[in-house]
Amino acid sequence: MRHLLGALAILMLWQGAALLLEGRFLLAGPWDVARYMAEHAGLLGRALRITLLEAFLGFVIGNGAALILAVTVILLPRLQALIGAVALLVFCLPLVATGPILRVLWGPGIGPQVTLAALAVYYTSFLPLVVGLRAAPASWFDLVESYGRGPFTALVIIRLRACLPYFFAGLQIAAPAAFLGAMVGEFTGAERGMGVLAIRAMRALDVEATWALASLAAGVSILFYSALGAVGHRLFPDRPALILSAQSSAQPDNWVLGMLRAVALGLASLITMLLLWWAMMELGDVNRFFGKRPADIWHFLVTAPEAAAHRATLWQAAQDTLRYTLPGYGMGLALGLGLAAIFTLFPTIAAGVLPLAIALRAIPIVTTAPLIVLALGRGATGTITIVAVMIFFPTLVAALQGMRQAPGQVLDLFDSYGASRFTRLILAQIPAMLPAFFAAARMAVPAAILAVTVAEWLATGSGLGNLMALTASTSDYNMLWSSTALVTLLAGLGYALVAMVEKRVLAEMAPEQGIGP
Amino acid sequence: MTISPISRRHLLQAGLAGAGLSLLGARPGRAASAVNFQLSWLHSVQFGGSYIAQSKGYWADQGLEVTLSPGGPNAPVEPPVVAGTALMGISAADYTAAAVANGAPFKILAVAMQNNPFTIASLPGNPVHEPKDLMGKKIGMATANTPVLQALCEINGVDMSAIEIVPTQYDAAPLVAGQVDCLLCWLTDLPVAMTMQGIDNVTMLMADFGYAVHSQTYIATEDSLKNRRAELLALLKGEVAGWRDYKADTDAAAALTVEMFPDAGLDLATQKLQAERQIPLMFSDLTEAHGFGWWSEDTVAANIETLGLLGRKVSADLWDRSLLEEIYSS
Repeated sequence: MRHLLGALAILMLWQGAALLLEGRFLLAGPWDVARYMAEHAGLLGRALRITLLEAFLGFVIGNGAALILAVTVILLPRLQALIGAVALLVFCLPLVATGPILRVLWGPGIGPQVTLAALAVYYTSFLPLVVGLRAAPASWFDLVESYGRGPFTALVIIRLRACLPYFFAGLQIAAPAAFLGAMVGEFTGAERGMGVLAIRAMRALDVEATWALASLAAGVSILFYSALGAVGHRLFPDRPALILSAQSSAQPDNWVLGMLRAVALGLASLITMLLLWWAMMELGDVNRFFGKRPADIWHFLVTAPEAAAHRATLWQAAQDTLRYTLPGYGMGLALGLGLAAIFTLFPTIAAGVLPLAIALRAIPIVTTAPLIVLALGRGATGTITIVAVMIFFPTLVAALQGMRQAPGQVLDLFDSYGASRFTRLILAQIPAMLPAFFAAARMAVPAAILAVTVAEWLATGSGLGNLMALTASTSDYNMLWSSTALVTLLAGLGYALVAMVEKRVLAEMAPEQGIGP
Repeated sequence: MTISPISRRHLLQAGLAGAGLSLLGARPGRAASAVNFQLSWLHSVQFGGSYIAQSKGYWADQGLEVTLSPGGPNAPVEPPVVAGTALMGISAADYTAAAVANGAPFKILAVAMQNNPFTIASLPGNPVHEPKDLMGKKIGMATANTPVLQALCEINGVDMSAIEIVPTQYDAAPLVAGQVDCLLCWLTDLPVAMTMQGIDNVTMLMADFGYAVHSQTYIATEDSLKNRRAELLALLKGEVAGWRDYKADTDAAAALTVEMFPDAGLDLATQKLQAERQIPLMFSDLTEAHGFGWWSEDTVAANIETLGLLGRKVSADLWDRSLLEEIYSS
């Protein structure tokens, strides 16, 4: 009932906004959208079918890859930190750069769409799997060992079963991501699909079509998200709330050692990434005109006569990007956290707003960005808001989940002392939420950088996002690869920085929730 | 370059996503008579002549099986042509010049759009009829096109600093919503979209004000021109025949486009209008005299001059007319 009221409120807000913006060709209301869908059911159905197929294949392949990676990490625990870091960096690669290269590698067909869908899901599935594969009591492993069996038996008998609930939670997040990945993949030159129709609709000033497609994409995402959620709930009624934690279990006992370890990991992942990059280009025999190797970029940025000018261009763009990313990131996290607190204090509000959260997360940013820009302008405010909007919902969801983790006995204790709801929030629920919040804060780093580069490309015309779009159209592939490497590096550094803060804070605030097994 | 990568590319595909996936994409290795032709945008009547060539068998008659690969917002044309996954591509003189400056061995084989389609679109209440009207206006455009505006200003003696550039997505909404006074776009897309939505608009074709850059140019690598000449010749022959039919009946070309690509979300009336608006860009006295795709030393010289303003230094040997000459001499 509450959900129904929430949905109704959303529809009314939507219709109201559409009426307000009538004649400006920016937003179509639910009524027009429904009519468009009915009139073009055949076209939309065929497009949906192909995009769903791409998303499904990407979903299967991406999750398969996640499983392989996670099992590798379990069998070779020494490599966990390195594999995790490299998997993250690959996840952070900007689409502007990977799309065209995938198209050349695959040729015509749905290859790039499927690959991009797989790339969009594998990391968020990998993280919970690593946690899940360890989520069994130590005594079970002792038992396997006492029978003289090795790690492989433990993997099959204990770990693979223990990880199922976690795996399912990962699948739930992966479903909408795969769909969006497939849609964006169609921007690389596809014959048909939802993404193709979306580009066409926006250019044709066909707002009904644009919003019909956005609504359809959002609807499909919500459907799969809820369906997988419901199945998971039925199969594993007592499953744990998902926390995307990828911290290594080794807690260094002193600060210097920790720093050394971090630096060593950073170097190792850097070298691995460079090797992977080089091997991909060489094995694929990717043409050097656009498939630059690490050595080409080194020459471009360091040894070439104009290297200083190239670095200056790149540095200027990076500064522009960071100027918008940091406040947007901070605002997004603060907003998510603040709303989670309000919802925890007044739980009735949450039921109505959460469906909106999922829906908004599922609408492609390319559709929402122009609306935000219209409302707030093309300057700093608009761009920062786009970043904040992109990351505040996942943060809100994670923080809410985390606050629910506060142990019942602890809450009972607060109640028995007649503590206020506010005291309970500050002293029990917020500390309990911290691991989930930090997990979201880490994942928000790549999301923020993606959002800012898209906004720069579409709205501000500055920064790395603009530089990447510009250099791709003028065949300046040295600069494109340099920007790509820099964006990936920034995302990786940002993630590591948040992880460091997380370690410190959790060691102080929530040692009992020690991340890891 | 065209043969050896196949096995290694397949190896990479397998490594990338599992061997099962290679069923999805078309295999790069095909029979000698099958070629891939990379278009510069999504399917629309913009490439109407090619669809006619396909459906009337102008290529099949010459033993050529052609795949028409659509482009998109994240699908530059140059990489597949350089890599050899596409034999020929549709580019524009400025993009081709940029690619050549970055080491791509391209030649322009034919010019579909004699007149550059770049246009300043505005609304009748606040119109831009000539370049000096731009002063004091806000123009919405992709920042990537800043050099284009710069060149126009330089040719026409307009002070660029008097124009405010607003980065926009490629759609007409910012103009209609009043965020900008005018847009830099193609004559054949956003103005057509506005007209179809019932919004009166004013267009100023930049080609009428000295902006001479060949557009929708056919490009191939020097290597292909040498080693796959017969296929390129057949491809261009089909194009010439297809565009001849297109000119004779643009409505039929629009209808064919909508029919061939039922999943592309095309609207027949829009396609008809676009097909009609494209004609004066593609056909001129020059093409009347010599044939579709032709250029003269004069038009190339004008191009070199404008490209120079865009910061691209090119020489006349970027253009190679030998295939067209062969087609029209027989």
